[in-house]
Amino acid sequence: MNGTIEPMRVLVTGGSGLVGRAIEQVVKEEGGEGEEWTFLSSKDANLLSAEETRKMFEKYRPTHVIHLAAMVGGLFRNMRQNLDFWRNNISINDNVLQTAHEFGVVKVVSCLSTCIFPDKTPYPIDETMIHNGPPHDSNFGYAFAKRMIDVQNRTCFKQHGRRYTAVIPTNVFGPHDNFNIDDGHVLPGLIHKTFLAQKEGAALHVWGSGRPLRQFIYSLDLARLFVWVLKEYDEVEPIILSVGEEDELSIKDCADAVVEAMGFTGDYDTTKADGQFKKTASNAKLRKYLPGFRFTPFKEAIKETCDWFVANYDIARK
Amino acid sequence: MLYSAGSGCYVNTCKSPQVCGASFCSESNPGGNRLSFRQTDRPRESEKDLEITYRFELWMAMRVLVTGGSGLVGKAVERVVKEGEGREGEEWIFLSSKDANLVSAEETRAIFEKHRPTHVIHLAAMVGGLYRNMRQNLDFWRSNIHINDNVLHMSHEFGVEKVVSCLSTCVFPDKTTYPIDETMMHNGAPHNSNYGYAYAKRMIDVHNRALFQQYGRRYTAVIPTNMFGAHDNFNIEDGHVMPGLVHKTYLAKKEGKPLVVWGSGRALRQFIYSVDLARLFIWVLREYNEVEPIITSVSEEDELTVKDAVDAIVEAFEFKGEVIYDTSKSDGQIKKTANNAKLKRYLPDFKFTPFKEAVKETCDWFAANYDMARK
Repeated sequence: MNGTIEPMRVLVTGGSGLVGRAIEQVVKEEGGEGEEWTFLSSKDANLLSAEETRKMFEKYRPTHVIHLAAMVGGLFRNMRQNLDFWRNNISINDNVLQTAHEFGVVKVVSCLSTCIFPDKTPYPIDETMIHNGPPHDSNFGYAFAKRMIDVQNRTCFKQHGRRYTAVIPTNVFGPHDNFNIDDGHVLPGLIHKTFLAQKEGAALHVWGSGRPLRQFIYSLDLARLFVWVLKEYDEVEPIILSVGEEDELSIKDCADAVVEAMGFTGDYDTTKADGQFKKTASNAKLRKYLPGFRFTPFKEAIKETCDWFVANYDIARK
Repeated sequence: MLYSAGSGCYVNTCKSPQVCGASFCSESNPGGNRLSFRQTDRPRESEKDLEITYRFELWMAMRVLVTGGSGLVGKAVERVVKEGEGREGEEWIFLSSKDANLVSAEETRAIFEKHRPTHVIHLAAMVGGLYRNMRQNLDFWRSNIHINDNVLHMSHEFGVEKVVSCLSTCVFPDKTTYPIDETMMHNGAPHNSNYGYAYAKRMIDVHNRALFQQYGRRYTAVIPTNMFGAHDNFNIEDGHVMPGLVHKTYLAKKEGKPLVVWGSGRALRQFIYSVDLARLFIWVLREYNEVEPIITSVSEEDELTVKDAVDAIVEAFEFKGEVIYDTSKSDGQIKKTANNAKLKRYLPDFKFTPFKEAVKETCDWFAANYDMARK
């Protein structure tokens, strides 16, 4: 038997973001032999352009792709620019998925989100429910574009047998996040606010985010799971990557952990924090495949993230 | 009023230092109305005559671009415009795939630059029968997404006031309650067989809503049920009920064989004649202001069985042979009623062409045009 196996050459789009950086770290620490990992950022190629996307594939000739690149934004930008979020993400995704197919890429793993699920839905949500109703009005352009990754994966499988797939993380956090208070997500926003409150000797006001997300996943854990999906998960249907329902946390829990991690000694008030409302995603499929997977304990993950933010405040995105 | 070359553009918001020749001025004035210039032909004194005078008439005129203009619906719109639905000063341009490949952004742009429409009826799509859809889901998804994005985006860039696109009840969720209405389109995955096509069509609605949210554009879409008429695709394998039956009956008569109908004939459908649909398209273009699409269909009480359709076609062709219902073949869904309450609310008096009359016209057309009909 001919023993030559083509080495894995993995291209990671959106490589400089929260998840991309985590994958880079995990690969450095736990990487496989003979694997080549390339992390692209928007400086390397504008994936809105089919030609530039093609040039990237011609240059790196990947065998695998982790597709994280997207036009993302906070609540207010989404609400004002639904068209741009729709069109740009459809273009990026079509360029990456179609070029990957044309270049014979064996596997593409894209990144969805629980925020694209139907607005009106029963809970817990699972992988079969993505298309069961329109998404929330505020980011429907972004949400539909993400959903169409799944449509393109399924149709590519039907027509060509390609097993491109996607993951659905819940609320991700970690170093290299976007810590913008208005634009960013709850946890990084909290970290930034606590940092400023501490620096200015002010009180920390924690109030309702309007987003009752409750399952948090540390970017490094997500990165490990991404690599597992890339190598071992064979379904075309996406997979939710999340801690279980029993590990759901409230904003108050987050505030407590951040305060403790940063050694914040000022006043903080969580009476206005979001209440008990849950929005659970089911991780039953993940538990079936990886019953022994261990998530980093929340406080430890928060400490690492806060330490990173403090040490890198100047260069952090905010 | 005469303007000589070199004087400024008449439109008060346009900063152009000279009159823009024969092409349509795409600047809209603050009043929100479109002003249109049309060059009338005046003979020049000589080829070297540099002073070219134009006579401009100002009126609010539509220039309508119809993509997919050579298809079932496009030809019906063309006929209806000719027969009186078109208004004076309007220009209607019917494009076909020969004029431009709308999958290409550059070719779409070139078409918009050439015609500078104020309105668009967007009918062009990659369509196919059941089997082709099943085998080429990815192509149906991608090609249609590209066509639709190109047309809708160019329309927006070129300041087109209104685009009316064409959806279909076949893109609705596979698992759903009936009757279906306009609010239900995104409530679940479409049927497996035309998954790619169906999602691409649905995304027209997403694009319209996003354009409205970000720019206030009121582009919209119609949702017909089972259309039929002249210039259809009469391919039998492709699976559309009416044209398939018309073709089969024609052949049965010609060959002196029985007419074999697939299924029991009991399945109920809301059939809409292409000419009626065309009139509704034009009404939507002129008067319907919602971004949410509108179902264009006869009412539930006017649902007909496949057998009713067979009887009408048999009568139209004066087919005297045997009609056999092959019950080993599937009926498809027995009933898939679409709710036309919104249409009835807007146009309570709209009169659909009587079914038998519409079928007769279609069959006559097919018989007269058999050689060149698409099949």
